[in-house]
Amino acid sequence: MAEPIISIRNVSKYFGDFTALEDITIDIRPGEIFALLGPSGCGKSTLLRCIAGFETPSTGDILIDGKDMTEVPPNKRPVNMVFQSYAVFPHMSVEQNVAYGLKMDGMSKSEIAPKVAEALEQVKLGQFAKRMPDQLSGGQRQRVALARALVKRPRVLLLDEPLSALDAKLRDAMRLELVKLQQEVGVSFVMVTHDQSEALAMADRIAVMKDGRLRQLADPVTLYERPADAFVADFIGRVNLFDVTGRAPFTAKSLGALELPPGAEVPPVGDLVLAIRPEYIHLHPDTSGPIPAKLGDVGFQGDISVVEVTLSDGRAILVQVEHDETPALLALPLGAPVSISLDLTRASVLPVSDA
Amino acid sequence: MAETSLSRQARAASPARKRRTDRPGPFDYARKRWLQLVFLLATIFLYAPIVVLIIFSFNDSRRGGNVIWRGFTTDYYVRAAQNSELLEAFGNSMTIAVISTLFSVILGALTAVVLWRFRFPLKPGFEGLVALPIVVPEICLGVAIAVFFSYFGLYIPPGTPWPFNLTNIIIAHITFSFPFAAMVIRTRLQTFNREMEEAAKDLGASEFQVFRDILLPHMKPGLIAGALLAFTLSLDDFVITFFTSGPDTVTFPVKVYSMVRFSVTPEINAASTVLILITLILTAVAMRFQTFGDSR
Ligand SMILES: Nc1ncnc2c1ncn2[C@@H]1O[C@H](COP(=O)(O)OP(=O)(O)OP(=O)(O)O)[C@@H](O)[C@H]1O
Ligand SMILES: [Mg+2]
Repeated sequence: MAEPIISIRNVSKYFGDFTALEDITIDIRPGEIFALLGPSGCGKSTLLRCIAGFETPSTGDILIDGKDMTEVPPNKRPVNMVFQSYAVFPHMSVEQNVAYGLKMDGMSKSEIAPKVAEALEQVKLGQFAKRMPDQLSGGQRQRVALARALVKRPRVLLLDEPLSALDAKLRDAMRLELVKLQQEVGVSFVMVTHDQSEALAMADRIAVMKDGRLRQLADPVTLYERPADAFVADFIGRVNLFDVTGRAPFTAKSLGALELPPGAEVPPVGDLVLAIRPEYIHLHPDTSGPIPAKLGDVGFQGDISVVEVTLSDGRAILVQVEHDETPALLALPLGAPVSISLDLTRASVLPVSDA
Repeated sequence: MAETSLSRQARAASPARKRRTDRPGPFDYARKRWLQLVFLLATIFLYAPIVVLIIFSFNDSRRGGNVIWRGFTTDYYVRAAQNSELLEAFGNSMTIAVISTLFSVILGALTAVVLWRFRFPLKPGFEGLVALPIVVPEICLGVAIAVFFSYFGLYIPPGTPWPFNLTNIIIAHITFSFPFAAMVIRTRLQTFNREMEEAAKDLGASEFQVFRDILLPHMKPGLIAGALLAFTLSLDDFVITFFTSGPDTVTFPVKVYSMVRFSVTPEINAASTVLILITLILTAVAMRFQTFGDSR
């Protein structure tokens, strides 16, 4: 494995007696898209700002290219940031915005011009070079912010919620464009997001955070298939969680005694939950399955449908149904008796998130 | 200025309200008699004296105070322009206004940035102190400054060359106009997005470069509006100037006052009309810059 480009070592950050970050250790690799994912207020932005130098960690170190950054101010760090509001300078043209960072490096005009032109080409803003920011759309302003940061050839590009200010349709298009751009320039991206689907779609690796702590760091598939705890399972994609009592055999609330397949990993201590995703539950449109249920809303999504069913004790769960099987369900009245079966080889028993 | 933006908001808000309720819309009110009356009274109250002043600046009458129309003439403008004392007073006023404006804006901008940027003990107290000259009656401020000058022996010896003979007046004018400039500039700073500053630093700018390249351009409309405000305040100040000017130095408002004591000639009307015009133009420019800044 190549040397990490950024090493975050045991970083904590306190605002007064509030803990925004607690003992975070992460290595960012060269050339990857790394996502910091978590609910609002979990400290994602704070961590990103520590890397950029706008916040100083209370304890711990941040190394970029092996060099300790503690004493290095933001304007001297080899990273650049795309801000959530884009912060495009309103009194400068697109071109001047992109040139600003190079000018600060003391580059001559003749050196700057071709680099600016190239950067604007890269983000497809070539013909907008002379425009002022208030003559641009939100998506175009974002590209200015991207070009302005990338033209400095940073070791790592930091992006704080890069897509949150765009409308839904543009957001989907920009996901792909950002990934393409990253592959083109080969610079590592560290992006902050609270949107799990964005992180899953774009990132090579994802750090899931909650309340200032790192809950799990893994690639998207591992995160989805083998979440470390109930919080991560719940935060990534859809999942049904059942409180579990006893050990081997388990008794899950609402489901009864369960026989897990041999070799299933079970945490030795603490409270447990059974997590099973909607696609690993099969819905029978009749009462032939082992667990009886009542049919609820059918959420038709085209390729699949997400169906809500109610178990005998009133607990509602989500089941995913293939497109072919949907018409049969839609024909049934609300509350019709149906049944489900669980694919327990795909279920996991997880610790309840500790605090 | 605050009032203008307020009424603009009110006007913008009312059409929407009209759609939702049966209340009369903004233009329906104009048909109400009592409202027309209020409007008429307000206009007369505000502008009748000025209109009379301007009309009679063109009156072809020999004696001042004569309110009988004797025909149209521009003679008194010519005569005002040839009155060397009046011209000297006008020149003094302009000089004082330009210099005090320059210092007011610099001092006001620095005060505004300090108040906006930093947190320090007793900050609310300091803010209040800065705003105090705005609310203290002008007469008190005038007396205070005059007493201050004489207590510290800061008087202008007779025969001091121009423009140094204006020093005391200029200092007094800076005192009362820089708080206004500070307020206007501070309001402008409130709309500054701090991420701009961080973005500039992130791109390699030092503190000074951030100030020069990012903050200063953002402040520009506020600086211009503050300057024009300080300029007009200085140009037409009478009370404080009266208390702080030496025996030999005369400003335009003070000169007009001394001329009026003999008789109100159309010449004074003419000179005042010119001053109104200058003030009006500058105020219009200031307001334009203010709204221009907000729309950004
Ligand atoms: N300068 C500060 N002073 C005090 N508390 C702060 C400061 N900056 C951030 N915090 C607190 O730290 C916590 C984490 O903030 P942060 O901005 O990192 O959240 P986030 O994960 O980016 O959330 P969001 O998705 O809403 O942007 C929040 O509870 C916030 O109130
Ligand atoms: Mg944030």
